[in-house]
Amino acid sequence: MVSMHDLPPGKRVSGYFAQKAQVLKASIFLTRKLFFADPQWVIPNIIAPFVFTMVAFFLFQGQTSGSSFLLYLVLGSGLMGMWGTTIYASANSIGFDRWNGTMEATLAAPVPLSWIALGRVLFNTLQGVINAVFILVIGLAWFRVGFSLVNPAAFFLASVATFLSLSSFGLLLTTILLLSRKGGFITNSMEIPVYIATGTMFPIILLPIVYLPFAFMLAPTWGIEAIRTAALPGYVGLPTTYWEDMVIMAAETFAYLGLAFFLFKRVEAYAKRIGTLEEY
Amino acid sequence: MQVLEQKPTNAESREWAVWVKGLTREYTTRNFFGGVTRSTWALSGIDFQIAYGELFGLIGPNGAGKTTTIKILTTLLTPTGGDALILGLDVRKDLYEIRRRIGIVFGGERGLYNRVSAVDNLRYFSDLYGVDPGVARKRIPQLLEVVGLAGREKERVEKYSRGMKQRLHIAKALVHDPELIFLDEPTIGLDPAGARDIRNMVRDLKAQGKTILLTTHYMFEAEELCQRVGVISKGKIVALDTPSELKNMVRDISVIDLKTYGATMDYVEALRALPNVVRVVADLESEQQSIRIQTPLGADLLPKVVAALPEGAKIIDRTIKEPTLEDAYLRLVEE
Amino acid sequence: MKSTEGGRGVLSASSRLQMAYRVFIGAFFFGRKGLIIWDSWEMWVMQIFITPIAQMGFFAFLSVYLKYPLSVTQFIVVGNALQSMSFSAVFAVANITSQDKWQGTLPSTMVTPANRVALFIGRAWFQVLLSSLIAGAGLLYAGTVFGVSFAQADFLGVAVVVFLTSIAMTTFGLLISAVGLYMRTALIVANIFLFVTMLLCGIDFAVSTLPIWLQPLSWAIPLTYGVEAVRMAIAGASITTLLPILGWEALDAALVMLAGFGLFSGFELLSRRTGRFEEY
Repeated sequence: MVSMHDLPPGKRVSGYFAQKAQVLKASIFLTRKLFFADPQWVIPNIIAPFVFTMVAFFLFQGQTSGSSFLLYLVLGSGLMGMWGTTIYASANSIGFDRWNGTMEATLAAPVPLSWIALGRVLFNTLQGVINAVFILVIGLAWFRVGFSLVNPAAFFLASVATFLSLSSFGLLLTTILLLSRKGGFITNSMEIPVYIATGTMFPIILLPIVYLPFAFMLAPTWGIEAIRTAALPGYVGLPTTYWEDMVIMAAETFAYLGLAFFLFKRVEAYAKRIGTLEEY
Repeated sequence: MQVLEQKPTNAESREWAVWVKGLTREYTTRNFFGGVTRSTWALSGIDFQIAYGELFGLIGPNGAGKTTTIKILTTLLTPTGGDALILGLDVRKDLYEIRRRIGIVFGGERGLYNRVSAVDNLRYFSDLYGVDPGVARKRIPQLLEVVGLAGREKERVEKYSRGMKQRLHIAKALVHDPELIFLDEPTIGLDPAGARDIRNMVRDLKAQGKTILLTTHYMFEAEELCQRVGVISKGKIVALDTPSELKNMVRDISVIDLKTYGATMDYVEALRALPNVVRVVADLESEQQSIRIQTPLGADLLPKVVAALPEGAKIIDRTIKEPTLEDAYLRLVEE
Repeated sequence: MKSTEGGRGVLSASSRLQMAYRVFIGAFFFGRKGLIIWDSWEMWVMQIFITPIAQMGFFAFLSVYLKYPLSVTQFIVVGNALQSMSFSAVFAVANITSQDKWQGTLPSTMVTPANRVALFIGRAWFQVLLSSLIAGAGLLYAGTVFGVSFAQADFLGVAVVVFLTSIAMTTFGLLISAVGLYMRTALIVANIFLFVTMLLCGIDFAVSTLPIWLQPLSWAIPLTYGVEAVRMAIAGASITTLLPILGWEALDAALVMLAGFGLFSGFELLSRRTGRFEEY
């Protein structure tokens, strides 16, 4: 029988990066556990993409513009799937602790809330990548599109960068959701405008000019552009090059991250001032 | 907002695990334009100290300021005024260092991830608290054994009974080996056996030299466990002493404990109107009615108590008792 | 429960009716109150002004991009205008049961000896009115922003179709909220259902373009009739011409409701047996 006296002393990890890495690891670990604890994840990740691609198929049926055009659409619907998951999952990242009753325990931990949220958002965005891959596979099979890429390495790089930019956007959304009780609905109704603005299914050039600044402020707009430039032969999109797209996306991603970390500090200060974040 | 600027640097404050001076907390509600519409004082200047290794109790009615105090001391809430040092660290500035060295047990069902197992909960929190993974691998299974969850640690927490969840809460609070432990009503809602287990764990922690701050609703619990007790009422500490000294305050009275059947509020009012009755506390709603009468007369009051009984009501049992901490508490919070 | 002079707890027909009425009125107000999140003006603005217009715009731009003729774009715009009610009709109703669960009020609702049918219907009326309003706003945008001509339209016909479709779609929400009684997934099921209506109900393309084996499923959803009828009414069909299709829609809605009630009772029994009210 072990007694309290036999417990080994709780030695701590030292070093700034080791500590932060441990928090990220813990947060990703828990998010993964919670995700698989609930089999309903199958639905947004398998059924929804399937339905999505089906709608696209029927809409484009009769369009015979060749496989490059179809790949354009399939890539777009994949990115829509990723966007959707990011927005949906950001709403659930720290918000989950609110209705699960673990907000206080989370706030009481000796780590900044932003690092815990970052772990959650990274896992959820990764889930969005899986979602996008499903859509790609279903779409490719359905349209019988060959998956030949102009520059596979550039495509891969742009995809990873887009994944990171979506994560940073998700982190920013999480803070908005923590600050406002209506945040959930604001992000919900952002979903379609954001699909439109980032040019997932049609070029943003078609949009009214007032919409364009909003579109240019969203990092994934540039990510999608870079991905298409790397994937499609003879692709004509915005008048920017692949690397210009990547640089703009990187700059905007860092801006999101900076703003998110700043807002998290505000959230924590606010929580301490009122003593809770449990209530809406 | 008024904040005391000078940080107490005197040697005195370093000797205490918890050192609180003039602590205040005001809650304000602001309107749309940022103007204060309402302000309430949850704490209006409290002082107390807890020595290293002491088991200190904080008791008081709901809304008296217990939770606000705990929240301030655990760095979850900023005080409006006054100072609080935890293990010599300032609750306003040294948040993370304080958090690493204290453990918190929240009462009730909250604070655990119900859809994952006990081990997963402990692994998560041990990482958040920065415990070395090698140490955690040894510490977590042993901790589960100490709190009596070994063998069921892989089950989802949602399948646990209330008592098991509470034991997991304790394990969670101990996962990073804290020096100071806050127990916020740890036995609330537990069955008697479950509550006894928790109390035994608290004693073990004390024996190990941990400093403990316990809040509770149950006076016998505070009397049984705590070395010193602070009574908090309306945002103020109204008494602070050992349980036996607190009981001395009500030495002048004895208590008549009645078990009745069919008693009414009118009867209770009649008892209150009797001369030399200090206080009457009644619970008529339960199946077993109980009435507690504080009086300096002791058994001499009984004939009048019986005479006032309405028709149809019965006294099933009566006992004359020495006053307990509860009687002292009732006097303190009502005055 | 008060029993009549006949004793043994048997109620007369009229007092049973009275009780059902009281439950209905109670549930009506509860249904409204249960959706606390709806009590904010942002929510109303989003639901009535932004979401429908964004959805209509998304598909209209897509149609323009695919170089479809104007008539196709207008077909799509009208379809999406009516579909935009689905969120409030289906999702919001399904949300009520989930909120009950989260707030821990489900057992206390379920243990009341309330008449289930009245409870079932009473909870949804607010949603019916709101859904009509949203679809009405959608059609207004179709006429003003997207240039759909209402010159020939039979306005009485349009109004009747919108209102009937709101009722019919809300019955679907009730069906899904019945599922929510037993499963954790009601909200996700509702989400999927929203996608499925896009695919099956002739919103963006005619039902006849779907594979034959999918078409019966289309006609099982009341929205399919509604979308067809509203296009007919805008083209000038009078209410008498619309009667047959509206009749089918009403019949369909009645069957959905019956199924929902069946599920409600069945799942309630199951929930009681397994004690699953409170899990989420």
